Amino acid sequence: MSNRYSSINDNPQLDVLSVWLYALLVLVGLLSIYSATSEVNQTFQFSFSGPAGRQLIWIGGAVIIILTIAFANVAVIDYFAYGFYGVAILLNILVLFLGKEVSGAKSWFGIGSFGIQPSEFAKVATALAVAKYLGTYGVKFKGGKNVLYTLGIVILPMLIILLQNDTGSALVFLSFFLVLYREGLPGWILLAALWIGGIAITWIVLSAKEISLLWLHGVIWSLGATVIWFSRKNRQIIIVTLLIAGISSLFSAGVGFAWKKVLKDYQRDRIELVLGLKQDVKGMGYNLEQSKIAIGAGKFVGRGYLKGTQTKMGFVPEQHTDFIFCTIAEEWGFMGVTVFFLLYTGLLWRLIILAERQSTVFGRVLGYSVLCILFFHFSINIGMTIGMVPVIGIPLPFVSFGGSSLWAFTLLLFTFLKVDEKRR
Amino acid sequence: MELHRNRKFVYMGLVILLALVYSVRIFRLQVFDNTYEQKAINNALNKIPIYPDRSIVYDRNGKLLVHNIAVYDLIVFPAKTDGVDSVSFCKLMGMEPAEFTKRMAMARESSKKRQKNNVFNGSAIFMNNLSKEQYSAIQENLYRFPGFTVEPKTDRIYAVKGGAHILGYLGEVSKKTLAKDAYYRPGDLMGITGIENTYENYIRGVRGVKTVWQDRTYTERGEVTDNEFNSPAQAGPDFYTGIDFDLQEFGESLLANKRGSVVAIEPSTGEILALINKPDYDPNLLVGPTRDKTIRQLLIDPKKPLYNRAIKGVYPPGSTFKTVMALIAAQEGVLKPNTMHGCAGGYHLGSLTVGCHPHGSPLDLKNSIGISCNAYYCQVFRDIIDNPKYNNVKAGYAALEKHLRTFGLGSPLGVDLPGESGGNVPTVKQLDRRHGKNWKSSMIISLSIGQGEILLTPLQMANMAAIIANKGWYITPHLAKGIGSQKFIPEKYRKPQYVSVSELYFNWIIEGMELVTKPGGTAFGTGVDDIVVCSKTGTAQNPHGQDHSLFIAFAPKENPKIAIAVIVENGGYGATWAAPIANLMIEKYLKKQEASSRPELLERMKNSAVQ
Ligand SMILES: [Zn+2]
Repeated sequence: MSNRYSSINDNPQLDVLSVWLYALLVLVGLLSIYSATSEVNQTFQFSFSGPAGRQLIWIGGAVIIILTIAFANVAVIDYFAYGFYGVAILLNILVLFLGKEVSGAKSWFGIGSFGIQPSEFAKVATALAVAKYLGTYGVKFKGGKNVLYTLGIVILPMLIILLQNDTGSALVFLSFFLVLYREGLPGWILLAALWIGGIAITWIVLSAKEISLLWLHGVIWSLGATVIWFSRKNRQIIIVTLLIAGISSLFSAGVGFAWKKVLKDYQRDRIELVLGLKQDVKGMGYNLEQSKIAIGAGKFVGRGYLKGTQTKMGFVPEQHTDFIFCTIAEEWGFMGVTVFFLLYTGLLWRLIILAERQSTVFGRVLGYSVLCILFFHFSINIGMTIGMVPVIGIPLPFVSFGGSSLWAFTLLLFTFLKVDEKRR
Repeated sequence: MELHRNRKFVYMGLVILLALVYSVRIFRLQVFDNTYEQKAINNALNKIPIYPDRSIVYDRNGKLLVHNIAVYDLIVFPAKTDGVDSVSFCKLMGMEPAEFTKRMAMARESSKKRQKNNVFNGSAIFMNNLSKEQYSAIQENLYRFPGFTVEPKTDRIYAVKGGAHILGYLGEVSKKTLAKDAYYRPGDLMGITGIENTYENYIRGVRGVKTVWQDRTYTERGEVTDNEFNSPAQAGPDFYTGIDFDLQEFGESLLANKRGSVVAIEPSTGEILALINKPDYDPNLLVGPTRDKTIRQLLIDPKKPLYNRAIKGVYPPGSTFKTVMALIAAQEGVLKPNTMHGCAGGYHLGSLTVGCHPHGSPLDLKNSIGISCNAYYCQVFRDIIDNPKYNNVKAGYAALEKHLRTFGLGSPLGVDLPGESGGNVPTVKQLDRRHGKNWKSSMIISLSIGQGEILLTPLQMANMAAIIANKGWYITPHLAKGIGSQKFIPEKYRKPQYVSVSELYFNWIIEGMELVTKPGGTAFGTGVDDIVVCSKTGTAQNPHGQDHSLFIAFAPKENPKIAIAVIVENGGYGATWAAPIANLMIEKYLKKQEASSRPELLERMKNSAVQ
């Protein structure tokens, strides 16, 4: 293995497979946007002011970004990583004051009919900054100070974006915790997060069904008692178990407080809807049902390109942005979905391979950041269209309509591909 | 670094796990669950009904009776009416704001129900049958009222003023029918009475469908070109009735200002030539936006103009029934043409007396009909049911009843109009209840002269005349003569039904019926020149007032073309009103002349009121 780290890449070029998968996904997106926003019985009509036309312009921009990166010196990326981060934070603060409000979130800079969403670029900047920090000589993801700094880099933009009232984009920053696992973040922290999530969900379900919450505490403590019984000779385990059970009990009480006092009505509605606790809440159920109808109507072979009525007729909400997957599933059916999944998971898989072949911590962290951000977006976006995840408004990278997200994800992916090309 | 290298497998595992879980879920949505495809279609397709024209209705000579006129319904998509200016809408339509709110609420309800039934159209009828004024007002201003649109459909228009009870009227389909028959939508029109009702399935035609794409806001987004979703409307086939409308109108004019009924039948075919009721109404009243209001008014009218007496009214047949009694007696072998019975001002048996008018005595069969002797038929009746070949009077009566039922009496004939009554032929059981277990022939003797428990509809009386004209058979009377180019009519209106009396005996009775309008006959002076009319007068006792005037007849004697029954309620003797009306109608039908030799009779009939 060690010879690989020192070997010099003889044939420098961007990873061809990744570029191809990227191009295909962008193409699928463009076609689907055209379809989702076209009329029935329509002969081919194209205008640069329509959604597909504007997406094409943005794709042109993305190509410029790619070319710029391709011909740039990789050292620039490393050198200016903190600089990018600083600019991104600044822009995200500025947008709080200067931005225009779009569906409740103040996260857009409006320039004419075009808008730029700085939070999309904050992901890229944060990825670079985390990679840069962890790649710095002497920094190990171990010990209080380094961990705190790392978490700080991630949480700062997250908080600012929360202030913009864009919960979906803020949640994306959770994907960095998945990145940190590769860098040594103990697995039990992620497991603990799952445990906490489990408790929270159980609490919500129980309270919605008006079942006494004593059951939850009962289960927690009997689990704890079982663990203690089997390891009754080990004092350390007994103490840890007691601590966990106690914290869990306290936490479930905290969930109750957060559920009732902190979450907003629509957020509660979304969560309850996905947990199957409510049938229809202020049209949320209608939207989800329409999304499922669109996907279900695709059957095995699909209704045919340009023939998906669910999206075209506006039954599916945000049919060309966050719910673009509905168009793909409705028009291309399960066969199309399979191909699409192969493309997407192919790209994710390739990113793991590429990230693992990095010789620097910087490269690897950057690679895993790209992977985890895409993974998070993919799982949340597709999950919400099929009713497995709350409806959180985040785009499907490379596919959804939107310049900011396309450019940001292009920047993210190709920055890493450039780093990968120049790996030593 | 090397320490955590194996963790890459966790990431690989997560990617594969996610793809698998989502694939399984999507596979379930797309391949296992078949409901979504239909739901998507229901979402995006709006099937707009195309209403066909109803059949055009003609009489037997091709005279136009009923045709169609385009009318408009105001349709609303409740979900699209946000912010509609209801004040100016009400002003435009001449509608109270409360009415608007009520109709809107009903439309919402109906729209919701249809969505629940998977008909995701979202539209509902806001108001049907717009008046001309309302239509032109709204048509020009539709753009101001989002969510409203007009749909064309057809209503009836009548070329004639009469025939109301034959033609029937249309009305809004009832909730009961809606629940039973998926063909109809709320607010649709269908035949409520008359042939419109009986032949609804033919007359309504076949509704067509125009399918359009609609988006989430119910906005039309172009036509669906796929033929699978579109079908043209097919108009109802031309409908020929057997009615001779000239005769019908003439009869209606004769019966003016009276209460009663006329039914005329072509004996050889069973086709009804005229079916008249008075009082009646002008069918043109029951069209258009005021229909419901008018129907409600007619329903509470004490003169009962909607009542179809010809098929629902039941009357004692009086002396007209003697013809049938004579036929059955002849068949039973207890009456010959030369059978003589005496009459001493009536029939006397112990304390029982059935009165008769003064006439020569004794009489033979022929004259007993011409003169209409009551005593003669009391004797004939007793000869039938007290016949020693039956062990007792009940067995004798049962034999009589069996004969009567073959004449189509005691149960509905099956005319092609809704709500026909069957009249009444008393059963042995019924007589037991009425007269106690041990009744004798003398106790039910009034049946012999068509009084008592025996009740017939005017249609059954006319059919009785047709049976005699045919000498022993009839075809169930009917109004339909031919539907569509194939001239279709139902099977049951094509095959003859035979009565239990042989042809031979009919000749005996016909000889007597010929005498009725001859000198000495009960209706002398009412007959038709040059035409041999065979007839029988009747006077039906009416416990509620003046007797009913009855008359049955057929003509000519050879190869009869028309059989007729006339009843004028409270008209007294059969010869007073019913006989002249029947004979005038026979003349009109056979000679195409209206009272050529006796205009004063015609005038008297037309201008007299009997109440
Ligand atoms: Zn007499």
